[in-house]
Amino acid sequence: MAERKEIEITCRADTLDLMHPDIRPWPVTPPPPREEVDKVYARRKATDFGNWCEDNLRYELAFGKPEALQGMKFLCVGMWRMGNMFCGSLLCEAGAEVIKIEPPGGDPLRQLTPFGREEYMLESKVTGEKCGLDFLHEMRGQKSVTLNLETEEGRDIFRTMCSQVDGVIDEMPAGYMDGLGIGYRHISKLYPGLVWCNIAVRGTWGPYKDKTSKFGQWTLEPFGGCANAFIHNTGFPQDQLPRGRGGDPTRSGVWFADYVAGEQAANTLLAAIYWRDELGGTGQFCEVTGAESQMDILDFDISWYGFNASIKARTGAWDPNLNQYEWNPCRDGYMMIGGQTDRLWYRIGMCIERDFPQFGRLIHEDPILKEMGARNALEMLTKTYTLTTRWLRDINRIEAEQKLLEYEIAAGPVLFIDEVSEFPHFKYRPWVCTIDTDHYGTLLFSVPPNNYQMRTPHRVKVLGRPLGYDTYEVMMKYAGIGQTRVNELKEKGVI
Amino acid sequence: MAKDPRVCRLEELDGPKSKQELDEMKMPYEDYCRAAFAPGGEFSRPLSLKGIRWLSTTMYIFTPHSVSNLAELGAEVIKVEMPRMGDPMRHCAPFNETYLYPLHDTRPMTGTGMGYLNANPNEYHISMDYHLDEMKEAFYRLVKMSDGLTECYRPGTFDRWKQSYRYLIEMNPRFIYVWGGGFGYGPKVFGGSYDILGQAHAGLASVTGMHEFMGGHCTKHSNWCIDWYSGTQITFGILAAIHWRRKTGLGTMIEFSQVQAATRCLGYAAPLYGRFGIVRQRWGNWDTQLCVHGIILAGKSDYPDAINPQDRLDARYVMVSAFNDPDFKELCEVIKKPDLYSRYQKHKDRVEGEAQVEIYAALEEWAKDKSRADVVRILQGAGLLAEPVMNDREVYECDHYRLRGTIRWQDDPIFGDVLAMGSYGAGLMSKTPRRLYWIWRPVGADNVKIYHELLGYPTAKIEEWYSKAMI
Repeated sequence: MAERKEIEITCRADTLDLMHPDIRPWPVTPPPPREEVDKVYARRKATDFGNWCEDNLRYELAFGKPEALQGMKFLCVGMWRMGNMFCGSLLCEAGAEVIKIEPPGGDPLRQLTPFGREEYMLESKVTGEKCGLDFLHEMRGQKSVTLNLETEEGRDIFRTMCSQVDGVIDEMPAGYMDGLGIGYRHISKLYPGLVWCNIAVRGTWGPYKDKTSKFGQWTLEPFGGCANAFIHNTGFPQDQLPRGRGGDPTRSGVWFADYVAGEQAANTLLAAIYWRDELGGTGQFCEVTGAESQMDILDFDISWYGFNASIKARTGAWDPNLNQYEWNPCRDGYMMIGGQTDRLWYRIGMCIERDFPQFGRLIHEDPILKEMGARNALEMLTKTYTLTTRWLRDINRIEAEQKLLEYEIAAGPVLFIDEVSEFPHFKYRPWVCTIDTDHYGTLLFSVPPNNYQMRTPHRVKVLGRPLGYDTYEVMMKYAGIGQTRVNELKEKGVI
Repeated sequence: MAKDPRVCRLEELDGPKSKQELDEMKMPYEDYCRAAFAPGGEFSRPLSLKGIRWLSTTMYIFTPHSVSNLAELGAEVIKVEMPRMGDPMRHCAPFNETYLYPLHDTRPMTGTGMGYLNANPNEYHISMDYHLDEMKEAFYRLVKMSDGLTECYRPGTFDRWKQSYRYLIEMNPRFIYVWGGGFGYGPKVFGGSYDILGQAHAGLASVTGMHEFMGGHCTKHSNWCIDWYSGTQITFGILAAIHWRRKTGLGTMIEFSQVQAATRCLGYAAPLYGRFGIVRQRWGNWDTQLCVHGIILAGKSDYPDAINPQDRLDARYVMVSAFNDPDFKELCEVIKKPDLYSRYQKHKDRVEGEAQVEIYAALEEWAKDKSRADVVRILQGAGLLAEPVMNDREVYECDHYRLRGTIRWQDDPIFGDVLAMGSYGAGLMSKTPRRLYWIWRPVGADNVKIYHELLGYPTAKIEEWYSKAMI
């Protein structure tokens, strides 16, 4: 084992400076050169195809190509949650114009920062205003305007702005916009072509709709995951860890249902606009919720209850449906291995057998394990993973990965974000990348996976906006309100 | 002629123009929504994507889901599977116990497992061993009649079989071609992938689960959530490409890496690391940016006498949310710890790690002698936000989803009663709602319909292909 060193960091400010991308650029080591990758293509006799992909799909080529949704416009009214943000991001990345309408105080999401640490918020070089990283990272090209919808003048401006757009994303509390007289049923009378999509946690209507507390606090994720069994079904069971010490139902580390709702909302909007333009001629009213859109992707869990009254239990890092398909501990972390069909299943065995000959005898020669379905029985999972972990415990993640990849098995280590950022394949494409922003300096961000396309790649053009940065531009373009009037309205607290 | 001020024309006045419109404006919002979405009335309304035809040469969950979203929205989808065996996901059932029969007409004793559910609804299922030269022409015929295709083979495989984008675009320039897989071009281009690989490899697992000091490990999201979520993002790419094609008449190729999509949802993890070198860690059932906003363990189960251990032992968790100052103040009063409030009056202070440990410990201490229902009732009674962590049975029985139509019993044309938990829930639409026709069909069930009726092959030919296991 490597020698353990105690390193004392005495001054956090020094460390922060050292880490700044202007001083310590990303990536720390350069991505693999093209020649190395060409060898990979050649090994599978796919040189032609590899070249074609590199020439046509590369990330770097995106800005020379058109944008799929160029000309489409959306308003986004929402706060606190990630759903409207992610929906807006996707639309912007694909080329639409999205106007994020915030109250004059701003979306409170701007103020959120891990563990309340203000030093991890970024200050705009222009306005000096601080913004949290979650908001900044998801504010991808959306324009920021402020508008107080609780004033009559603010509502008038909102109605006018609706005349300019294809769709509205509404993630305010249940019935809020409707109560102000600017909900779908009011606006659709003025502009019947408008597509309106609510985003909510459990819904804006129905017996278990979103609530606000007595003091006005909103329902946020993970309430969605609590209401659709996602959280109940995730985590380690009692057999693996004690209750209260890791063996509990577990929420996702991120507001996952919000992301799912956001992308389904974007799909719903595009489908509705397609129908309007191609077939029906009118807009419509839509609603996507985190709880339900995540339930839509909850495998078969609820239907399984309908099938034989099974209530799914937690299975930790294993999967009751597939074998092998898990991560198990190895010497320096966790190693994920997958391969269910016979072709892959025996390849995994062949790989492990090389170091650990017993594996072949105990696994391959077990008559039950010869049948793909039967491998999923609990005892069979236990047997397979016990023996696999016996092999893994002596090797590191990287060794295990190299050995398994020789057999072309889907395998990969559990990586942390620093390792993700430096993983050769990831920085080659790249799938985190730096972007130069006028307000916040150089930022590392997650690249949209739709960025690799022949004709209309999605792309991030700008990251982060100070509050109300685009107010003057948008007020003129969307409502015909000039500078003097905007200033007047600002004084009155409307903008 | 000047307008006579005594004449009042209804259509010139503001406001509703008819009795019906007046009623609509007067309805409570709740009723308006129920009337607009009218769950159960889907089949009297048009389809969003009517006329789009998509090919799905996909397996497992990730790429099939990119197409199932289209199928639910009304596109006609033809799913192509390997003859006799079908999609590997058909052989996947939780603990090998849930199958619907038959898999295929030559294998009556084998079924399709529930693992296949929700990923291929509403589709026509044909089988084809398309890498055979004999089947090439049929495959090309399908391409010429379709809007696009999603495939999931290892990169270069379709190219070797002369059916990759660069070949197909020659015969159909409007074609939209999607490759979905683990990695895409680059050094790990041939790496295979699964949902779990995305969760592990892209950083999602590293931020999910209990922290070490809580006794936990990196935790897998129980569901194949990255598969499904990435598939939905492909659907977004497809819909955007369809919009662009309306303008230009040109298709595109989308190369989509599923593992990358998992990095995409990590929020502040990447910018925090990039700027400050701080590696985001897991934080269990609490929230890194809000406090109180987490799941606590109550002392007693709601169903101490239930037979099913999930009810008997695990109905003990409550999600409590009181992060705003007045909410937190009220919470501290309810649990009789006013000193907690006086020490952590500012959100900035109570969201600090040490403060969170102390606050949640106090909450669990208070909940120690209470059941889940007690905790929820007391906190809701005080006007705070608290909800139980529900299990599958409770979700099934929840009237909210029944009323909204997002969980419902479906009378499947082949398999009879099936509980539908998907399709409708992906998003309600008032004019062109999503809908479910059937959950899936046996392997090759639509061979005759597609090869004979759509592509014009004589039935004798189809029988020959069938007997040689080419279809």
